[in-house]
Amino acid sequence: MTTNIYEEEFKVEGGDFMNVGTASTTLKSSLEMVGIPSSITRRASIIAYEVEMNLVIHAGGGIIRSLVSTDKLMILAIDEGPGIPDIDLAMQEGYSTASDAIRELGFGAGMGLSNMKRNADVLKINSEMGKGTSVEAIIYFTENTEWRK
Amino acid sequence: MKINTLLSKFTFQVFSKGDQQRELTGVVIADLLSFVMGQANPGEVWLTVQNHLNVAAVAVLKEIPMIILPSGRIPSTDLIQRCIAENITLCSSSRTSYDICIMINEVGFDR
Repeated sequence: MTTNIYEEEFKVEGGDFMNVGTASTTLKSSLEMVGIPSSITRRASIIAYEVEMNLVIHAGGGIIRSLVSTDKLMILAIDEGPGIPDIDLAMQEGYSTASDAIRELGFGAGMGLSNMKRNADVLKINSEMGKGTSVEAIIYFTENTEWRK
Repeated sequence: MKINTLLSKFTFQVFSKGDQQRELTGVVIADLLSFVMGQANPGEVWLTVQNHLNVAAVAVLKEIPMIILPSGRIPSTDLIQRCIAENITLCSSSRTSYDICIMINEVGFDR
């Protein structure tokens, strides 16, 4: 039987470039406190950071929700931004629609979605133009997952 | 190689002391934050010309204990304060990334 262990939600403001990482670093600390193993926390941190960057840079803000149950960790990001016109194209490493000013700060490398895909066991993206995007990333725990005490 | 070993052998301008007993495991050189998110390993020293607050967030998430800004780059006040708060060593050097890597290589890693 699956039991929920921990749940947390973060509100992310759009365009707040200097505070990108606040939600994901807080989430990392929470996961460590819950006792999630480092190997999984590191993967979750990468996913959380990339969804947070996308909410700030592209979506005008949104919500990140993290759910931990006995068998998996889920990160859900929901926004009401402009949507992704071509998800397959956006998934290609190096493709980015970020402005030059944003790129000069080191953002917009076009690696965000591929970083998410590489670190999630399941990644689902739904996007509707003019309505918004939802990203659901799941990391499954295995029998070998050793929880911290 | 511990951080304090590197700092004792070469001259750096230190803005945040961090935990200098931490062991360095390698080097990552990149200015694209998502590249570092994807490629860096825990314990690596990060060389970057990016000097803003977000560098600290990436270092926290990737468990990077030391950041070096090369070529005379100076960190922003926000970055210094966040590195102090997160116990990350933050330095700058007048030398290029290439020269800094040669220096790091001279000290060597315990592999």
